[in-house]
Parts: sequence; C-alpha cells; structure tokens
Amino acid sequence: MSAERRIRMMRRRLTIEVLSDDDLERIHRATLTVLERVGIAISSERILRALGDAGGTVDLETGRVRFPAAMVEGMVALAPSRYMLAARDPALDLQIGEGNGYLSLDGCAAEIVDLDTGRRRLPTKADLVQATRLADAVEEVSCLWPCVAVTDVQPHLQGVHQTHAQLANSTKHVTAMSTFSARDARAVVEMARVVAGGSEALRARPIVSGVQCSIGPLTYEGDVMEAAVEFAEAGLPCGFVAMANGTATAPTTLAGHLVAVNAELLGGIATLETLVPGAATYYGPYRAFTDLRSGGIDLAWGPEGFLFELAAAQLARRYELPMNILGFGTGAKTQDWQAGAQHAISLMGVAVAGEADLISATGTGYGSRVFAFENVLLDAELFDLTCHLLEGISVDDEALAFDVIEAVGPGGHFLAQAHTRAHMRELWMPRFFGRDTWEGWEAAARPEPRDLAHERVREILAEHQPEPLDEEVERELLRIIDAHQKEGAHHG
Amino acid sequence: MDDRIAALREALITLDEETAVAVTNELIDGGTDPQAVMQGGLAETMLEIGRRWTAGDMFLPEVVAAAEIFKRCNDIVEPALLAAGGKVLGHKVLTATVKGDLHDLGKNMVGAMLKTAGFEVVDLGKDVPTETIVEAVREMEPTILGLSSLLTTTVPEQRNVIQALDAAGLRRGVKIMVGGAPVTQEWAVEIGADGFAPSAPEAVELALRLAGDERLAKA
Repeated sequence: MSAERRIRMMRRRLTIEVLSDDDLERIHRATLTVLERVGIAISSERILRALGDAGGTVDLETGRVRFPAAMVEGMVALAPSRYMLAARDPALDLQIGEGNGYLSLDGCAAEIVDLDTGRRRLPTKADLVQATRLADAVEEVSCLWPCVAVTDVQPHLQGVHQTHAQLANSTKHVTAMSTFSARDARAVVEMARVVAGGSEALRARPIVSGVQCSIGPLTYEGDVMEAAVEFAEAGLPCGFVAMANGTATAPTTLAGHLVAVNAELLGGIATLETLVPGAATYYGPYRAFTDLRSGGIDLAWGPEGFLFELAAAQLARRYELPMNILGFGTGAKTQDWQAGAQHAISLMGVAVAGEADLISATGTGYGSRVFAFENVLLDAELFDLTCHLLEGISVDDEALAFDVIEAVGPGGHFLAQAHTRAHMRELWMPRFFGRDTWEGWEAAARPEPRDLAHERVREILAEHQPEPLDEEVERELLRIIDAHQKEGAHHG
Repeated sequence: MDDRIAALREALITLDEETAVAVTNELIDGGTDPQAVMQGGLAETMLEIGRRWTAGDMFLPEVVAAAEIFKRCNDIVEPALLAAGGKVLGHKVLTATVKGDLHDLGKNMVGAMLKTAGFEVVDLGKDVPTETIVEAVREMEPTILGLSSLLTTTVPEQRNVIQALDAAGLRRGVKIMVGGAPVTQEWAVEIGADGFAPSAPEAVELALRLAGDERLAKA
C-alpha cells in the first residue's frame, strides 16, 4: 500500500443558493404531501408489511405505501449525516459528510468507446478491468462505480463480475451495481467480506457500498429495495439515486421535477431506515430531461441542469443527508467544444452548490450512455481546476507581497524573486488544455486535448499495476461467482 | 570533484545566491583553476537546470533566477579565466532589445534559457542604438545575434539593424534571430533574419539549429 498516494477532494468555500427559504419549504411540504397522498409503489410484500407496521398506509393489492409526514421526517432523520466509505488502502478512505467532494466514476454505461478503433461497442468485463485500473491511477478519482456494464456475462451475474473486476484492480472504494435482488446483493456482500476479512471487519470498514435506483414516477422494484436492505443489514452503506426525467417521468417545471425526485428519494430512504434504522445512505438526485422533439433524453444539457444541481444541494442540506450528484452532463459524442463546455458548466454547478459528497458521471459522454477512457482524464483535469478555484484568494502579509514589490521597484521584474519561487507552484497547471505556442502546436501536428489524454491513457494502462488481491482471496471471489452462477441456474 | 565545486553546483541549482557568490569568490581567491570553476561549477550546472526544465521539474522563473546568479558568479570567474589565457566556452550569443523599446523581459528569459543550453550570452540591454549593436558584433564576433522588440512601433528597428550590419559587411559572419510579441516567421523572412521563435524555450531550439549544434537531434 502506497502511503504517499492520495486522493484529491473538493473543499468548498462558495455556496450559491437558487431557492429562497420559502421556496425550499414549499418544495419540502409538497414532497410530504405527495408521499402522504400519492405514496410510492414498492413491489415487495415483505417491505410493504414492515412499512405498514411502522405507520405507513399500505395497499398490498396495488403495492402502494403512503407515508404520514411525521414518519418520513422521523425516518429520514435516522440516516447518518457522516460515515466512512472505506477503501482497501486505508489512505484512500472517503469521509462522507465532512464537506469533501469526491469524484466518482459513473455507473454501468451501456456502451464504451473502443480505445483502438474509436468506435462505440458493447463493453466487456475486460473493459471494466482496464477502466478500473485507469481510475486507480488517477488521483482525482476517489470512488469506483462499475463505469461500464459488463455485458459478456448473464445479466444476473453482472453484479458479481463487476464487483470482482473492481476489487481486484483497485484499492479505492468500490460501489457495487447491478444487484437486482437480495440474492445478488448477498453474493456481493460475501465477496466484500472475503476481501475485508470477515463480517465484523467489513462492518467496521465498509470497502464496498451499494446504490439503488428508483423508477420514475414514484416506483421502486421490490427486489431492488430488498437488495438495499441486504446491504444495509451487512453494514454496507447503500445510496439511492432518482433519475426521473423531466417532461416524461416527472413534471416539466423544475419545481415539480424537484418535488418528484425528492419524493422518490425520501420515500426510498424512509423505507430503508424503517427496515434498518440508522443505515448509512445518500441522497442522489440525478437530473434528466426529455428532448421535446425526439422524446429521448435531452442531449443538449443546459441551464436547467445547472439550476437543478443548485436546488438539489439545498434540499440535501435541509435534510442533512450526504449527496451524490452527476458532475458532468453532455450530449457530445466526442471530446469536443460541446463536451468541454457542458462538462465544465455542470461541474461548476456542483462546485458552487455547496454540497455533494460524491460527484458522479466521470468519464461519460452522450447523456451518460457511453464511457470513454479519455473522458476520465479530461474530467479529472476539470475537477482539478475546480478544486483550485474553490480555494479562493489568500490575503495575508505574505500573499500581499509588499516586501517583494518594494524589492523589485519600478521597472524590474518578479521572475527571479524567492517569493515567486515560494508560491509559483500554487498556481494551477493544466495537463491537457493546450498551452503550446501556435508554432509549437503546428509543429506537433495540431494536437487537441483529447489526443494528449488518449496518449496518457495508453501510458497509464501500459505502466500502472494496481495492488493485487491475495491469491487465496482471488480464488475465493471466483468461487463465490461460480456458486452464484449455479444458484441462478437452479432457481432461474 | 573538489568539495567546493560541488558546493557551488549545489548553491546554483538550489538558487542560493549568497552561497554561490561566496563559494565562487573562495574558489577563485584560493587559486582553483578558473576553467574548472566555469566548466564544472557553473556551465554544467546550467545544463542540468536546462534538463530539469525539459523534464518539467523546474520552471522558467527558476531558470531566470539561476541565470542571474550565474551572471554574478561569471563576473568573478571570467577575469581570472581570461587572465589565465583560458577560453570562454560555447557559442556566443549577443542579445539586445532594439532602439526605442524598453521591454526586455522576454529577451532576458531567452538569455536565461540559452545559458541552460551551454551558450555564452552577452546582453547589451534595452533601447540599444543600432550603431552600438553593430560595434558589438564587430568586436565580439558572436555566433548569433538575438534582436527583441515588443512593440509594433519598434519592430521595424530589427530591419534597420540587419541593414546596418549588411552595410558594415558583418551580416555574413553572424546568424540573426528575432523575437517579440509582434514578430512572426513571415516578418523574420521579410527582413532577412535567419530565424524566429515564439517563446524562450523554442528560442533555444532555434539557437542550437543556427549554431549547427548536434543536440538539435531532439527537435
């Protein structure tokens, strides 16, 4: 384990609020009204009965639960504001709820841009291995979601294969996805226990977390919620994300959209806290909008996304819930002007929103549908830039620099001053933004940032060797995958 | 290696000006071969600083600071070197900001970077009259003359200098490189200069090429 290796995090000193206190309260009250009168659908009798016992109004026939306002508020208050997402290497542990913003890979992109051909195709487990190795080497990336869906295995084995690829190729925190049932979740928990060194060791240092997603409007699959409960019972944090799509699966107006997303998330969190009180979770309001012409996801990500990020952060703060939010949104297919502008603006929204423990969508393009290796490095560059600008301006005697201004005097220069050398490395330096002279740029055949990022990806993949798992642990993980496969074959 | 030469190298590379000057004085006063001080102490260290700049470990302000320290040390070593009948090393580059222009920072950066590539740099300063430049070329016989101007209003002076050198019969004996914000390759060609570089590091590559230095292989 490399003691000197660190992860970078965003520390905030700026907060922009887009909602007034009154606006925030109206959204909150409307959300409680939705949960009380409309409720949410959860297709699990076990979970519905537990919610009924805790005060919810349950209709088993329609699979609907309606929550009294006090129940929602009481249960959401049980969710801890602070906890740890541990990593195989303790130097890489994430302290959630401490004001840090950690960059995370995104989850299960349906396609990948092939590094050799530049064409998109279905991703494989080998791709996830490579992407995880890359992220292990990039210090701006702190948290690993399985950034591509492993499509060369049976769907019910995706979760275990992804978790295996992640655990075996990085010492950073791993979030498991594609756990579509309690049984899938159990297999992942078993894998995490093997790597952590037992149930109690895992509970003390949860090196794996889960995340589950609602289906807009106002629906959770029962199996998915049971998987969340399975994680929580094992002591693994399990977050919720809602991707309700404005105009299609949520209202068109931003306020209504926020109410719908908020209701899905608070409903999910209240459910988890009812079944496993005190379970560590997070609030994941993912914005999505509908393209009015095509009916698909709006790929021209724009100002609504920015405003949504600011408002969502205010809601998370109001509930004192850790937040996971999309840091990047673009409809661009490649690393062009559109991608750069949209990724920069969306990340800036997250940066000034004053809240976001986990910042997702790193490495994605085309509406988060496609993963590209180069995007990880380019997004990391934007993150690094953003971290720097959030540091603000230091104003003390040393920084005011009177002595050096006096020493240089009129007509001199500051280049050779010790003060310059003492502080120049505080200035931000890009790795991929072009800074060649025009002549140098032409002599180098007009490289674009994406070309430089491409080269760097290849270097990292050629050189970087993540800390491997113990051989015996590795064998045990493969045995669990095998057992899960056989169980699947027996039970369908 | 002499411990004090090693101390000089260390002081120069860590930009410890007072120590560098003190050790240089000690060495020369103590009778150390000035050639050894120049080559082993100063010139090789400047080359090492150039290597560190190339590797991204040192930045231009550090190179400029090193060049300023180098100059102070050189002022101590050079008289002893010449008195001992030694030769100054490397190709000589004469630099000047042309008449009417007080902006000499870019030219100074070029000079600093050139020193890290082993060039001996003699700087005539700023607002230098054409006649002064011509006389200096006659006396010092530099391999390269570097002419700088920042302003669109002073850049025509570069042409005047070249024409004056031509008239004095000195043009063929010196390579001329021009630079400054308004200068382009097209301008350099138009006025009959031998080359142009858009930044201090690129000026080093140009100077190596103009001097016919084999290290050019890099570019």
